[in-house]
Amino acid sequence: MFDITAIQKFLPQRFPFLMIDRVLELDPGKKVVACKNVSINEGFFAGHFPGKPIMPGVLIIESMAQAAIMLFYSDREHIDKKKNLLLGSVKVRFLHPVFPGDQLKISVEPLKITSAAAIVSVSAQVENQEVAKGELALSIKDE
Amino acid sequence: MQDLENELRGLVAEIIEKDPSMVTLDAKFFQDLGVDSMMTLEILAAIEKKYKISIPEERLPQMTTLREVLNIAQEYLAKRGQNV
Repeated sequence: MFDITAIQKFLPQRFPFLMIDRVLELDPGKKVVACKNVSINEGFFAGHFPGKPIMPGVLIIESMAQAAIMLFYSDREHIDKKKNLLLGSVKVRFLHPVFPGDQLKISVEPLKITSAAAIVSVSAQVENQEVAKGELALSIKDE
Repeated sequence: MQDLENELRGLVAEIIEKDPSMVTLDAKFFQDLGVDSMMTLEILAAIEKKYKISIPEERLPQMTTLREVLNIAQEYLAKRGQNV
């Protein structure tokens, strides 16, 4: 639905830290489903862990946070790129490890959205199995 | 009233990660308890969820003490009551 070029209009992150590849579903202000393809070529697999590649949980959270930014901006006409995006709180439970070759499907739905902040519920699945779930709080601030 | 106060104290204390005894009615969230705007929003969202009410974001700046939070929660609980 949204390819990488469209995603880059919403997200300020770039290589090597753009952590979603495609938006599969977008219901403005209500729901985002995004996909992150996890390749063995990811730099972090070199060290996490040598000979036993597992995607770091914090990077799953980063993917979730970037999908959450898409949700936050999805029903806004104007995106001010000068504002900082800040993650305020993370409550995430990891249920299964994520390996090279997996395709992370990240769903984000709002619990509360205001003009400058959002609390969202997030879930990540690999082949219909939930691998992580939780809640994130993020905000935008001038600076 | 007393019950609601204690429930809200517990809810606030959990979100801001302080002992409930520190969350007195007039302890100032920002100055005394180290609460920031993000936590205030989390408090508002948690109250909305727990009591199934909707509080507009314009009320956020007023949520500076437990007493204010209690007043706002009561106001919207009363409104919900009227609508039922």
